[in-house]
Amino acid sequence: MDLLEVKSISKTYGSGETAVQALKNVSFTVPKGEFVAIVGESGPGKSTLLNMLGALDPPTSGQVFIDGKDTFSMKERELTIFRRRNIGFIFQAFNLIPELTVEQNIVFPVLLDYKKPDKKYLEELLAVLNLKERRHHLPSQLSGGQQQRVAIGRALMTRPSLILADEPTGNLDSQNSSEVIALLKKTAKKYEQTIIMITHSRSIAQTADRVLQVTDGVLTDFGRCCE
Amino acid sequence: MKSYLSLIPLSAKVHRRQNRMTNLCIIFAVFLVTAVFGMAEMGIKLEMGRLLEKHGSQALVNLSSNQAVQTMILAAVVLFVLILIAGVLMISSSLNSNVAQRTKFFGMMRCIGMSKEQIIRFVRLEALNWCKTAIPIGVLLGIVMTWALCAVLRFFVGGEFSEMTLFGVSPIGIASGVIVGVVTVLIAASAPAKRAAKVSTITAVSGGMENENITKCAVNPRFYKIETALGVHHAVSAKKNLFLMTGSFALSIILFLSFSVLIELIGHVMPQFSNTPDLTISSADHSNAADTALLDKISGMEGVKRVYGRRSFFSVPVETDSDAGQAEVADLISYDTFDLECLVKDKLLQKGSDISKVYGDSRWVLAICDAGGRLKTGDIVRVGSEELEIAGLLKYNPFSDDGSTNGEVTLIASGETFVRLTEENDYSLIMIQTTADATDEDVAAICSILDENCVFQDKREQRTTSLYLAFMLFVYGFLAMITLVAVLNIMNSISMSVSARTKQYGAMRAVGMDERQLTRMIAAEAFTYALSGCVVGCIIGLLISRLLYDNLITTHYSYAVWRIPTGSLTIIILFVVIAVIAAVYAPTKRIRNTSVTDTINEL
Repeated sequence: MDLLEVKSISKTYGSGETAVQALKNVSFTVPKGEFVAIVGESGPGKSTLLNMLGALDPPTSGQVFIDGKDTFSMKERELTIFRRRNIGFIFQAFNLIPELTVEQNIVFPVLLDYKKPDKKYLEELLAVLNLKERRHHLPSQLSGGQQQRVAIGRALMTRPSLILADEPTGNLDSQNSSEVIALLKKTAKKYEQTIIMITHSRSIAQTADRVLQVTDGVLTDFGRCCE
Repeated sequence: MKSYLSLIPLSAKVHRRQNRMTNLCIIFAVFLVTAVFGMAEMGIKLEMGRLLEKHGSQALVNLSSNQAVQTMILAAVVLFVLILIAGVLMISSSLNSNVAQRTKFFGMMRCIGMSKEQIIRFVRLEALNWCKTAIPIGVLLGIVMTWALCAVLRFFVGGEFSEMTLFGVSPIGIASGVIVGVVTVLIAASAPAKRAAKVSTITAVSGGMENENITKCAVNPRFYKIETALGVHHAVSAKKNLFLMTGSFALSIILFLSFSVLIELIGHVMPQFSNTPDLTISSADHSNAADTALLDKISGMEGVKRVYGRRSFFSVPVETDSDAGQAEVADLISYDTFDLECLVKDKLLQKGSDISKVYGDSRWVLAICDAGGRLKTGDIVRVGSEELEIAGLLKYNPFSDDGSTNGEVTLIASGETFVRLTEENDYSLIMIQTTADATDEDVAAICSILDENCVFQDKREQRTTSLYLAFMLFVYGFLAMITLVAVLNIMNSISMSVSARTKQYGAMRAVGMDERQLTRMIAAEAFTYALSGCVVGCIIGLLISRLLYDNLITTHYSYAVWRIPTGSLTIIILFVVIAVIAAVYAPTKRIRNTSVTDTINEL
C-alpha cells in the first residue's frame, strides 16, 4: 500500500521575469516502510519538495496524499494537528528548543497534543538513541551528533508514519553520520515508518531503498540503488 | 566602504523592522521633553509678561520665593526625572534585545578581527545613527504639540491664556529635546555595547550557544499546558530583560499614581465650587444690611445669571448634648436653595448626611466642625428655645483657606429656618454669578444701584477656572503620554522577544504547534511581564502616592486623608491588559502570515 502519493506538483517562486520554477510537474508514490533518499545538486528543489511533502509549504499546483488524505485541502488547524500526529521532521540545524532538556524536547510534540507521554516508549527511545545519561541535559550541553539524535527522538515520539529528514547528517562528521543513519533505519524498521531523506552523501544514498534525483525542478526516479 | 563603520547605515537598512520600535522610543522621549519644556517656557513667558505689566519687577522676585510655586517646581523636576528614567529604560530594553538577537553577528565580527573597543563604538554609533532621524522628528512633533496646546489654551480655556503666543518656538525646548535624545541613547547603549563586546568568538563559530545563560524550564504539563509553561519560562529566564520590562512597567504605574496625587492636589489648591460668585455685595459693617428687595432687583438685571445670598449671625450661644448644659457659641449661616444644592454637587457633605431635611422651614441644620469633633449627625443643638438636629456634616470648612475650623462650630440652616430662628430677614452677603457675555457696563450698572452701606467686589478676575482647566489639561495630557509610553514599551518588548525567537517558533510550528498554542505562548510571556510589573509598580506606586499625598496635601489640608486610589488602580490594570492584548496581536499575526519554511530558514 502506498503511504505517500504525489500528483503532478509544481512550485514557482516569484512572478514575471524573476520567477523561478523550483519543481516541474513532479509525481511519484512511496509505499509504506520504504527508505527514500532524495539527491541532487545544491539549489532549490529538494528542500521545496520535502517541505511540500510535510505540508509546510503549499504547491503552486498539484496534490499530495498522505495515508489517502489530501493534505492541502485541510484547514490550517486541522493540518497542524495532522502534521503533529503523522509526520516527524528532522532538520539539518536540529532546531531543538534550547530551554528544554533532552527528555522534554523529545516529548514536546506529545505535550502539544495535551497527552501524557508514553513513559515506556520514551525509555525505549532514549535507550535506542543512547541518550539515557543525557536525558536531563540541555541541547547546548550536547555534541552535534547527540543533538541530532534528540531531534530524531522528537520525530519518532509521536510514532508518525512518515519521517522527513532534510540533510540530517549535514552538520555531522562521517562517524556520527553513519551512526545516525543506522539508527534511523533501525527505528524505521522497528516502528514500520517511511523515511524520506535529502542527502548529499553518496554513501548514504547507496543504503537507501530507492533514490530520487531532483535536477532543475525535474524528478528522476533511479529506483533501487542495488538494482 | 570607507571604514568598518560604513556597515552601520547598511545594517540599519536591513534591520529596519527591528529598529522601528527603538526609533519610536527615541522619537517619543525627545517629543515629550521638547513639548514639556516648550510649554513651560511659553507659560513662564506669559506669566512674567503679565506680572511685569501688573506689578512691576518686584512681583517676579515674589513669585520665585513663593512656597507653592517652589513645591510645584520640585514636583515638575521629580516627574521630569522619572520620565527621563522611563525613556532610558525603554530605549535600553529595546537596544538590549536588539543586541542579544545579534550575538552571532557580533561574534562573527570578533572572529574576523573587530576589537572589543570597535564593537563598543559600533553599537554606540549604531544607536546614534537612529538619533539622526529620530531626534529631528521628535523635536518637530514636540514643536507642533506645543502649538496645538497653546491653541487649546488660547481658544478653549481662555481666561488669562487668551494672550498666549500661538506659533512660538522655544529654544530651551528644542535644546533639551536634543540633549535628552542623545544622552538617553548614549546611556541606554552603554550596557548593550559592553555586552556585545563580551560575545566570545567561540559562540559565533559553534553557533550552538546562542543564549549563554539558558536555564532549564520547569515544564510540568500536569499543572500548565506546555505552551503556557514555555511562555512563562521565556519571560522569567532572561533575568535582565525581565528586570527591564518589570522596571518600565512599574515606572509607568508609579508615574500614573504620582500624577493622580497631583490631580487631587490641584483640586485642593484650586477648588472649583459651583457657587463661586463673580460679584459680591456685602454690608460695610458686617451686619445683615442688604435687604431682600435688592436681591430681586439684581436678578432682573442685564448680564446676571444667578443671585443668591447668605445671612449670618456670629457667636450664637448654643447648647449641645455632649457637653450637657455647658454654654457654647456657634456661627449661624443661612444658605439659599441654590447654595445648598451646590454642597451636594461639589460633594462637600460627609457620608450619611441627609441634606433633603434641611430645605425649607425645618428643625434640621448642617454643621461644620472638626473631624471627630463634638458634633455628629443626629445630635441635638439648642439655639435659644429651639431644638435643632444635625442632618449632616461638611467634609471641611469652606470658609477657611486650609479647610480647618480652628475649633469653632458653624451651623448652616436654610434661609427660612434662619429667619425663624433669628427674625433677621436681610442678607449679610449677596453673591452674583454673571452670564458668560456680561460686559463691564452690566457690572457697573449693578454697582450703581447700591447705597454707601454696601461694599461691592468684582471677583471675576479671581476665578481660577481657566488656570484649573489648564492644569488639568497638562496633567491629563501627561497621564495620557505615560500610558502611551507604557503601551508602546510593552508592544516593543513583546515584538522584540518574538523576533528573537522566530526560528525557534518556526521549528515548533513544524513539529506541530498550532496557531492558538503559539498565541497562548506569546500571551503567557506578555502577561508574566505585565503581572510582575503591576505588582512591583502598584506596591511602590502606592507607597509614593501615600508619601506625596501626606507631604503635599495632608500637611496643608488636614481634613484630607489618603485612601487607596481604587479608581486609578482599575484604570491601570485595564490599560495593562489592553496593552498586552495589543502587544500580542501584532507579532502573532506576523508569525501566522509567514510560512513555516521561511521562519525555519531565517537566520
